[in-house]
Amino acid sequence: MRHRRTRFLAAPLIAALGLIVLADPAVASGESIGSCIADHLEEMIEHGHGDTDHVLHELRHEESTQDDLEACLEAPNPILPELNEIIWGGAAFLILLVVMVKKGFPAVKGAMDARAERIQTDLDAAETAKSDAQAVQADYEERLADAKGEAARVFEDARNAADQLRADLASRAEADIAEMRERAAADIEASRQQAISDLRAEVAGIALGAAERVVQSSLDSDAQRRLIDQYIDEVTGSDG
Amino acid sequence: MADPLVAGYADALFAVASVEGDPARVEDELFQFAQALRADDDLKSSLEDPSIPASRRQQIVEDLLGGRSSSATTAVVSMVVAAGRASRLPAIVDAFVERRAASRNKTVAKVRSAIELTDDQAERLTAALNGATGKDVELKVVVDSSVLGGVVTEIDDDIIDGSVRRRLGQLRESFR
Repeated sequence: MRHRRTRFLAAPLIAALGLIVLADPAVASGESIGSCIADHLEEMIEHGHGDTDHVLHELRHEESTQDDLEACLEAPNPILPELNEIIWGGAAFLILLVVMVKKGFPAVKGAMDARAERIQTDLDAAETAKSDAQAVQADYEERLADAKGEAARVFEDARNAADQLRADLASRAEADIAEMRERAAADIEASRQQAISDLRAEVAGIALGAAERVVQSSLDSDAQRRLIDQYIDEVTGSDG
Repeated sequence: MADPLVAGYADALFAVASVEGDPARVEDELFQFAQALRADDDLKSSLEDPSIPASRRQQIVEDLLGGRSSSATTAVVSMVVAAGRASRLPAIVDAFVERRAASRNKTVAKVRSAIELTDDQAERLTAALNGATGKDVELKVVVDSSVLGGVVTEIDDDIIDGSVRRRLGQLRESFR
């Protein structure tokens, strides 16, 4: 604020100096020889001192004319203004300075203070928003970390479950294979036993058929009677 | 004798045989005919066939028994066949035989043998069965070649099997 005030006071001083330096000289007649000659010619023609050739001749050979031209060409001080301009300028400067000090400066100062206060308020709000944003960011990062941890845990659980499932399936497949082997072995054994039994029954049937035929052919009347007598003896023996 | 029909016919046969001069002969002839009917499927089919007229079935009976059996036996069998009870005739005869044996306080022993028993064998077997069962047994011998050899005796619900057929069956079982 202090720096700004200094710059604010320096502004009128620089304006006054510029006014002094750049003020137009009061008696300056012309800046070029052309313009001086043109002015002199115009003046001579207005006063009826002859035609153009005459005027040109006078310009070349009349000493008084040349002195007038030199006087026309002689430039006033380009820096220092006339005294009256300095007085008027200084008075105007003082008036402007007083007005600025009394009216402009407080208004500008109030505007500047209000603006500074507004900026400060904005800065405070920005600081608050920054703090809030940082809090939100921290919360977000915390949640993100939690989410990452949760995701990692879920992934680990899923991987463990997949491993367990794979192990279970492998175990079940092995058990099924073992059961199928046992069942196949049991079926084979049952088939073998059935084949043996069938073969034995078939052999027995053949043997018994042969035996029956032999018995029938060998059981003559005497053998039949002996069998009956043997039966009677057995019944008698079972008496009591 | 649970079947009333069989029991009724058995009582009727018993009444007819009782008025005959020789009921034992009637009994033996009926028993033999019943056994023949059990063994002969063609005869059984013919006498049981309802499509054959009763007179024709009676004629078959007359042809089989006429002149070789007593008139009472022939008349009784003809009556049962004409009544359409030929399929029940063996059971009726069995009930009749038991009825007659019971009337004499005897128990029927149905004996199946591959050959006919001699009188001596019949007497000794009767004595043996009397001793074994404690009953007064009356033998009814049936020649049955399916027993192959030996004897099978049925008394009431008991069976005493001494046949070669049974021994062969035991041998068959031992092979299993």
